[in-house]
Amino acid sequence: MTAVLGLLAWRLLPDPLPAEWTPAQRALIQSLSLSRLPATPVDPSNAVAESELAAQLGHRLYFDQRLSGNGEVACANCHQPQNYFTDDRTLAVGTQTGFRHTPSLVGLAYSPWYYWDGRKDSQWAQALAPIEAGHEHNLDRLQVVRLIAEDPHYKSQYEALFKPLPALPAAPRAASPTGDELLRRNWESLGTDLQLDINRVFANIGKTLAAYQRKIKPGRSRFDDYADSLTESSAVIPGTLLSKDELAGLALFIDEAQCISCHNGPLLTNFEFHNTGVLAIAGQLPPMGRYDGIRLARQDEFNCLGQYSDAEPGQCTELRFAKDDNELVGAHKTPTLRNITETAPYMHGGQITDLEAVMEHYNEAPTSMLSHNEAKPLALRSVQLKQLEAFVTTLTAPLQTEQKWLKPPDG
Amino acid sequence: MTPPTLSNFLLIGLFLWLPATHGWSQSATFSLTTNQGSTLEIFSQLDPLAINSIHSWELVLYTADGAPLHGAQMSVVGGMPDHDHGLPTSPVVTGEIAPGRYLLEGVRFHMPGRWLLTFDITIAQGRESATLELQL
Repeated sequence: MTAVLGLLAWRLLPDPLPAEWTPAQRALIQSLSLSRLPATPVDPSNAVAESELAAQLGHRLYFDQRLSGNGEVACANCHQPQNYFTDDRTLAVGTQTGFRHTPSLVGLAYSPWYYWDGRKDSQWAQALAPIEAGHEHNLDRLQVVRLIAEDPHYKSQYEALFKPLPALPAAPRAASPTGDELLRRNWESLGTDLQLDINRVFANIGKTLAAYQRKIKPGRSRFDDYADSLTESSAVIPGTLLSKDELAGLALFIDEAQCISCHNGPLLTNFEFHNTGVLAIAGQLPPMGRYDGIRLARQDEFNCLGQYSDAEPGQCTELRFAKDDNELVGAHKTPTLRNITETAPYMHGGQITDLEAVMEHYNEAPTSMLSHNEAKPLALRSVQLKQLEAFVTTLTAPLQTEQKWLKPPDG
Repeated sequence: MTPPTLSNFLLIGLFLWLPATHGWSQSATFSLTTNQGSTLEIFSQLDPLAINSIHSWELVLYTADGAPLHGAQMSVVGGMPDHDHGLPTSPVVTGEIAPGRYLLEGVRFHMPGRWLLTFDITIAQGRESATLELQL
């Protein structure tokens, strides 16, 4: 009986908090504060990244369901502003159920890579792919260009930003080099010059969508106020900013649990790729992750080194010096932990339903189905897992983004 | 106006030095001796060094007598031994920008902790190597 009670107490009773943070701990905590977030990185591949007019056009397109084959799917269907630009589904649903969980767009302008496997190297190149994916928007680039050309509002906004739209033939109506056989045959029939013109407009559409999405930024949370308060004192005192459990969770986060290894910096992510032994998505083979993603990024005609990019080759450092080895097998991108309490389920396939199960997953660090799990078992006690869960609740806050961007444009 | 005293200078120096050494980043200049006695000096263009930012390093290579070693072929591999993984990028020496001064592009670190980088150097006289340990 005593042994059982002792075991229960060991699992469930919290350790006392330290009296104060060490200088190293304090530096780590402060490094996570939004106050340390630098200005949004420039995107040399997108000449209109900072243009307000481009953001307005991108904003309108983001909410426009005409940008889909069935007229029912807009970017905002899955990346919902009211849900921190994700949805509450396991797998995304466009014209059909997709293959991955919808990632949040909050703070993504800071990421050098897009998609869970990093198959795109810019926010604008990313924005193009779902439009043509059969299970997402299921449209094609020629029809996208037609939409811009045939809507007077879009046409005038577009031509205020870029060169005049190309003249389009009456037929074919639809064409793409990536679609089904008919779309590809139509694409071939257009000829090289028109193909280049259409690709350029399509790329520019992506650039306006990126200009809009760059505005989606996280807001200051209770944690940020706490981290900033440490400039005055290193004492670990539960108070109005963080409770005892939240402080204990923070101590674990930066130390014993090693969450900070990947969830670091003010966005709580290193935007890198890691294999953490998450189970394969039901009904799918374990994905190769970044191992395939970097190959796709290099082949992408819309990448930083491609002819539709506005960057000089020397500016494409991430793509030019990207790693390519077996460590990337099964690796997926670290997501931000900002607002994580509001963005369940979790992981690239939404495989883990709640934060309690996430903590258990990392505590166990199961063997990966493909390659190896980078994480090591933590052997944390139940009470410590609860404390970690308590800590991440302090990272939720309303977005910093102006309200007008969080709803469809007027008119 | 009173001319600044030595102690004022020292105080100003201390204030300038403090932000660079405080916290989770570190000085961006290193000097290593290769296993053949040459010197490899490293100047990071990101100063102080920090995680999650891609940048370049200048590598300055010279003999024990101080003569620049030009025409070297250099490569670098690295990682975190405690985490059993490599660098997140594949940095490459892309050119010799002055005699004995080389540009290493594509350096990025993605985790706080201990990093080891090994420089492999091939010159006319043979091969040399040097290892840098740094804590981020």
